[in-house]
Amino acid sequence: MATLAQPVPPPPVIRRRWSAWRRNRAYVVGLTPAAILLALWFVGPALWGFYASFTNRALTGRNARFPEWVGLENYRRLFDDPDLATVFLNSLVFVVGSAMLGQFVLGLALALLLDHAEARGYRLTPLVYGAVLLAWVNPTVIAGFQWVAMFDFYYGSLNQVLTFVGLPRVNWLGEAPMLSVIVVNVWRGTAFAMLIFLGALRTIPTQIYEAARVDGAGAGRRFWDHTLPNLRHIAVLVLLSVTMSTFGTFVLIQTLTNGGPGNQTQVIALYAYETAFRGYEIGYGSTIAVVMLAINVAFATVYLRVSRPKV
Amino acid sequence: MTPERRNLTRRGLVQGMGAAGLAAAAGLRVGPRPAGARSRFAAPMLQGGLSGEITIGYADELGVKPPYVEQAAEAVRGANPDATITIDLQKISGGDYTTQLLLALDSGEGPDVIHIGGDRIGELADAGYIAPLDDFLAEWEDWETEYPQSVRDGVTYDGSVWAVPYGLDTRFLYARRDILDQAGLGADWQPANLEGILEAAKAVKENVPNVLPYGLYAGQSGEGGTAAHGFLPIMLAHGGQIKDAEGKWIGSGPTIEQTLAYYERAWRTDAVVPTEILTTAKPWTAMREKIGTGELALLFEGGWVYGGYAAKAAEGAFDLEAIAYLLHPTVDAGPSFTIGGPGTVWYINEASENKELAWEFIKAFNTAEIVAALNLEDPHPVARADAAALPEFQENQYLVDATASLEQAVFLPPDPNLAKVIAVIQDATGSVAAGDATPEDAAARYREDLIRAVGEENVAAG
Repeated sequence: MATLAQPVPPPPVIRRRWSAWRRNRAYVVGLTPAAILLALWFVGPALWGFYASFTNRALTGRNARFPEWVGLENYRRLFDDPDLATVFLNSLVFVVGSAMLGQFVLGLALALLLDHAEARGYRLTPLVYGAVLLAWVNPTVIAGFQWVAMFDFYYGSLNQVLTFVGLPRVNWLGEAPMLSVIVVNVWRGTAFAMLIFLGALRTIPTQIYEAARVDGAGAGRRFWDHTLPNLRHIAVLVLLSVTMSTFGTFVLIQTLTNGGPGNQTQVIALYAYETAFRGYEIGYGSTIAVVMLAINVAFATVYLRVSRPKV
Repeated sequence: MTPERRNLTRRGLVQGMGAAGLAAAAGLRVGPRPAGARSRFAAPMLQGGLSGEITIGYADELGVKPPYVEQAAEAVRGANPDATITIDLQKISGGDYTTQLLLALDSGEGPDVIHIGGDRIGELADAGYIAPLDDFLAEWEDWETEYPQSVRDGVTYDGSVWAVPYGLDTRFLYARRDILDQAGLGADWQPANLEGILEAAKAVKENVPNVLPYGLYAGQSGEGGTAAHGFLPIMLAHGGQIKDAEGKWIGSGPTIEQTLAYYERAWRTDAVVPTEILTTAKPWTAMREKIGTGELALLFEGGWVYGGYAAKAAEGAFDLEAIAYLLHPTVDAGPSFTIGGPGTVWYINEASENKELAWEFIKAFNTAEIVAALNLEDPHPVARADAAALPEFQENQYLVDATASLEQAVFLPPDPNLAKVIAVIQDATGSVAAGDATPEDAAARYREDLIRAVGEENVAAG
């Protein structure tokens, strides 16, 4: 190895490249299949979608037969779209409510509780585990229909409970549609955050806590000074994952409210789907999807910058 | 859509059906003909000596059509032993199937024989997905002799015929007599005018607990039903039109605002419509079922739904007499009307490499025998006059009434922008129904959205 005190001349290019290859070959061989698959199934369609967003391509009518390049027309149309502000606001409320506040915070809380319960040997811990995981492993459409049944005004179990205790029925999906879809998405997605946090909690050496206890730190202080800093990188990863997956959620909303009433639960992913596959406007739907992708990339960049270790 | 076109359509259809007379002999049974049984109709003249492969793709949730499709395929196989016919039945709703099919057609794939709604002819033809049938029809005598001009017009677009229909669509205002009677309106209730529907719905709301008063589709969830079963009949009831004489979409005028004001009354002021229509995917499934089970009092829906009620009633689930089917009233007690359509029709995929064989299947399916039996089982007014004239049809009061209703029907002309216009209608009705916009604001937005969707050149000035 070269040192600063005794610089050596750089090796010839071929030698340097060979050396780099020997050093990195395991990564290259390991990552290449994944890179090829990503290129095939993600980058390819994304590039096609980007191209389609500059065309008037459609699934029916003349534009299906003779799609034309329309330049920035779709983007102009999107930013003139009177529904765009509502759709963005709904997406923001949905992501903040169900991903950041719901799945992330609740997932962390559940992980802390389960970790604590396991350490104490509570017998009901597996039951809680099972209940949380069951929501996660349920197919999205089935989970949606389960909640549709629970929210039903006349026969839903929530209103049955309300009428049993003498309270009036609530039109959940009609009067509180966004809150309802947030609750369901939190119920369904919390398990993922919980599992990751639980795994991360188990990597924190117990000696740290023992030392803190000896120093007289209470539970709150131990959490703040030791648990949170140790979870920082994982927390960013979880936040990134739940934000991006929630931003792209549409099957659950489609099943529960189909974006309604009106546009009250219309989020950007559902809007893109409806435009492309119900209105058959592939070009315009692709434009919405491209904007959505750009927002996701922006989210990812910010999160990754925040999580970068300070030197 | 002009009044002239409407009159021509009504008269032509009825004349066509009447001209066939009662020539056919008795003895038609419901259901496909068992193997070996003799038909009273002449066997279809199928071309022989064809080879190759075709696929017949269709969706059928109810499971009524498969035996008839199989019977037609078998007839083609019999005439063409070297031909391979594959049947691709999808047990999903028509809406879900259409998207899948369009994606396949867009890739130059899809079945050789296509079976979806006839209201899509303009969109499919302009996309180059379907083949014109003029050359085949020129050699099929039945097309001229048995299909009334109005039926032929319904599948003609841009000077060519693109599809063969077998059962036509009509629509009715379904009313539960027993519920309306409980509401104090009498079992023989009929709306005197458009206001009468809302008055009846309010009476149900006040007097019959736990029954939904009125199903009026709005928003995206209602899909095509929001237009054909909601916005369009209400607008026609107010004397409006959706297209002008030049074929341009009408984007403004008092009737659009009046229609949206009706929506506001039904959804917000009187609150007689169940809000799940706005939040449930495919709300028609529940609405149709609730009419049958007596949980909904009033619903304007497809005539094809009545077949399901008749079948359930035959099983003893309820008394069919409890369900009245009525024409839609107008705002000033003018002549009642309905919305007609060519129904689900047969097309040939433009990309098919075996169009002759595909045509043989369509011909084999659209025999008087199959068309009659299928429409008796799944009641629609029949497209063929010889099938309509059969005694079984004359003895079936619903089929007589459904056929007669087409005299009062307004038909949506094929238009390549129909799906986009439906999306605009969904937005306008959905925003009013949800309370997000006033009728005035939604009407103003309707014109803007229409221009954005179909282009200013396709929207009538004003």
